[in-house]
Amino acid sequence: MRVQDLAQLSTRMFKTNPLRTWLTILGMGVGTAAVVILVGLGFGLQQIILEQIVFGDSLLSLGVSSTGAQGPSLTPEVVNQFRNNELVVDAAPLARFPALITYQGLTGNVFIQGVEPPYLRFAGVTATYGDVFKDEDIGDTSSVMLSPATLKLFGIADEDAEAFIGERVTFRLLVPADDGTENVNEILIDKEYIVRGITKEAGVLNAMMMLAELRNYVGIEEFERVQVNVIDNVSLPIVEEQLIAQGFRVTALSKTVEQASQIFQGIQAVLATFGGIALVVSAIGMFNTMTVTLLERTKEIGIMRTLGASPNDVKYLFVSESVVVGFLGGVTGIMMGVGFGMAINIFLNIVAGQFGGQSVSLFSFPLDFLAFIAIFSAGVGYLTGIFPARRASTLNPLDAIRYE
Amino acid sequence: MAKPFIVARDLSIIYNQGKANEFRALTGVNTDIFEGEYIILFGPSGCGKSTLMYSIQGSLPPGEGTLLVKGDDVYSYPPAERVYFQRHVMGIIFQSFNLIMSLSVLDNVALPMIFCNADRATRERRAQSLLDRFGVGHVSHKIPAMLSGGQQQRVSVARSMVNDPKILLADEPTGNLDSVSTQQVMDKIDEINTFDKRTIIMVSHNAAHLSYAHRVYYLKDGRVVREVVNPQRKQIKPVREGETIVTELEQLARLYPYDSVETWRVKSMVNFLTQNYSFDQIGRLEHAVDLFLQGRIDRSSFIKSLILPKERGGVEVLESEARRMADVIEKVTHTADDIRRFRARKDNDAIFFTQDKLAERMQEHMAQEHRIKMSKQQEANMTELIADRVTGVVAEAELNERLMQGVRSKGLGLNEAEADDMTRYFEKIIAQGVDVSYKG
Repeated sequence: MRVQDLAQLSTRMFKTNPLRTWLTILGMGVGTAAVVILVGLGFGLQQIILEQIVFGDSLLSLGVSSTGAQGPSLTPEVVNQFRNNELVVDAAPLARFPALITYQGLTGNVFIQGVEPPYLRFAGVTATYGDVFKDEDIGDTSSVMLSPATLKLFGIADEDAEAFIGERVTFRLLVPADDGTENVNEILIDKEYIVRGITKEAGVLNAMMMLAELRNYVGIEEFERVQVNVIDNVSLPIVEEQLIAQGFRVTALSKTVEQASQIFQGIQAVLATFGGIALVVSAIGMFNTMTVTLLERTKEIGIMRTLGASPNDVKYLFVSESVVVGFLGGVTGIMMGVGFGMAINIFLNIVAGQFGGQSVSLFSFPLDFLAFIAIFSAGVGYLTGIFPARRASTLNPLDAIRYE
Repeated sequence: MAKPFIVARDLSIIYNQGKANEFRALTGVNTDIFEGEYIILFGPSGCGKSTLMYSIQGSLPPGEGTLLVKGDDVYSYPPAERVYFQRHVMGIIFQSFNLIMSLSVLDNVALPMIFCNADRATRERRAQSLLDRFGVGHVSHKIPAMLSGGQQQRVSVARSMVNDPKILLADEPTGNLDSVSTQQVMDKIDEINTFDKRTIIMVSHNAAHLSYAHRVYYLKDGRVVREVVNPQRKQIKPVREGETIVTELEQLARLYPYDSVETWRVKSMVNFLTQNYSFDQIGRLEHAVDLFLQGRIDRSSFIKSLILPKERGGVEVLESEARRMADVIEKVTHTADDIRRFRARKDNDAIFFTQDKLAERMQEHMAQEHRIKMSKQQEANMTELIADRVTGVVAEAELNERLMQGVRSKGLGLNEAEADDMTRYFEKIIAQGVDVSYKG
């Protein structure tokens, strides 16, 4: 039997029994929609989290810090050494000193971080408001970025954080004395800095300025932290091994992402299981329908067999019918699921807009996931059809033709 | 000598073999069917005729014995090749048409070609030409449910021919049809046999179809009990001289297809004992009387057809005898008309004759016919008796008895022979005169 004839014969049920056919498709559709919605929710949540922490270069970066007094320290020579590693693209250091920050007469304790722009890229530092330092800002001597917690020192509420951009602050560096005592020298930086951005780092009191600017006031012999950017994914664990072997502590953002992903895969699996139960229920319903259809069409099978249909022709006829129903069920389910998810997204965004919150997409439907669902539902259709089809093909044509 | 097309040797078909409900549907069947033959498998329901047909079709493997079609044992083929054989060698027609209701008439006819991977244009052209040939081309785009039974069966004849099979199998193809459609379908099948030279194997229990076939296999209780050659058709099966002879029994088989050979022998003997005419003559006489009674031929043509020699299709009786027969028929039908009028008067008021007058006329005819002189009282009694019998108040036996009763007790006082004679004659008249058609 030719494919187009098979298609024509196996879509007759839309004409002969449209109600039952569409109800079966709807049943499959609801089950599939449940899977699509729940897994879509999983994808959405994952995306919301990952959007916050994942940035191109940061995934290929390793955070290197000293293990303490016994371990090797991160001197500029060491940083250069890192840069010379053939698997490393670049290494960006961060120096840190405690400092006092003053804004309109109010003073508080912060850490001043001296960085070069690449560091921000490698560490994935972004701004909630304002701008981050870009590569051309390397010589900048007049602006700083503050972490949100710093604003709290001055009694600035979250809502007013944006308005803080452009304000001016002054610093006094607290540098340990060289004489081996616990004494601290206070170095006054006699100029005002413009706040150019508010970072997203929560729970820390940080002010960030260019490393070169910081060097103007204090000598830096040792860095707090170095972000090492490697050439590719494969090199990541190799370099990590090397650094650990040298006695450094290494953290990789990619690991964090990986862990987060694993958690979300777990969540997705749970959600998919619930959706899967719905899908199984509707698949059983569809199986039932296909079995009834078989009984109903026993006579027709007998007729076809005596007219020269081979057992395989009969089998293909049944299987393709259930694949069509399954696939259409999948497509219907995708439309229902995506429609529902999108509706919720729009609703949430409207609500968020009303209350001044940030807009989020709670549901996300990657295309390859939807394609998978469509193919998968056709597969479910195949599975529900194959057993009735096998039975149909083994019926004795004479018994079948006499079946009423 | 030509080789037979389909050969069954000691063929037995056993349902549920080895189980408690084992049933032998066919036992030791031997048949030789030749290419181009029209074969009818005849017998009462449950005799195994359909079983034999479906076994030839390839759906019922023999339990014992062999079945060869075109010299091949199709049941030794793997299923895929058996399907090929069913597609290209066999066409099939069912009693219940078995069209697929969800497909158009055209697609139904083209369906067997779909299984053969024929492309759409080819198969639709072929299907349409067959539908045209069988007179249902104008309904090709309807669905089968919109067609009459006769049309549906002609569609199914077209479907059976679409792959140009060598053998056409028909399972009681006219079982669900009215007489007009039956005639159409039988004519089409006959045309396929005589014009297209296809072998036909038809299962039937309608004796009227037997004259179409070259040969008829009579089946009973799973066995072929007789093979009857139709002398009216030129035989394809080579017959060796003296092997089979055509006897009166073959003739009786067509007249009384449901009776056994023993009954036919009895009928043959009783005919010889009681009648001077052969079954052939009786058949022709019946035909002539039929036409005469219906008024479709007049007296002289009736007599002419009776005295015509057998070779020219007549009954071959003496002219005097023919005239006597014509006289009797005329007299009987004349009086029968009175009975019809009499009975009609029951419902209508008298217009031309009163019932009494009609009864008197019948009484006069009877007395005259039997040459009996009657007293006034006898005449009155007989008139009353005739009226009673014609209205149905008395039955045949009572009529006979009253004729013999004394005149005082409302009888006629006839002797037994006279009474029997008169009763028989009057019953013949009533048989002609009483309208038995259903008026419900």
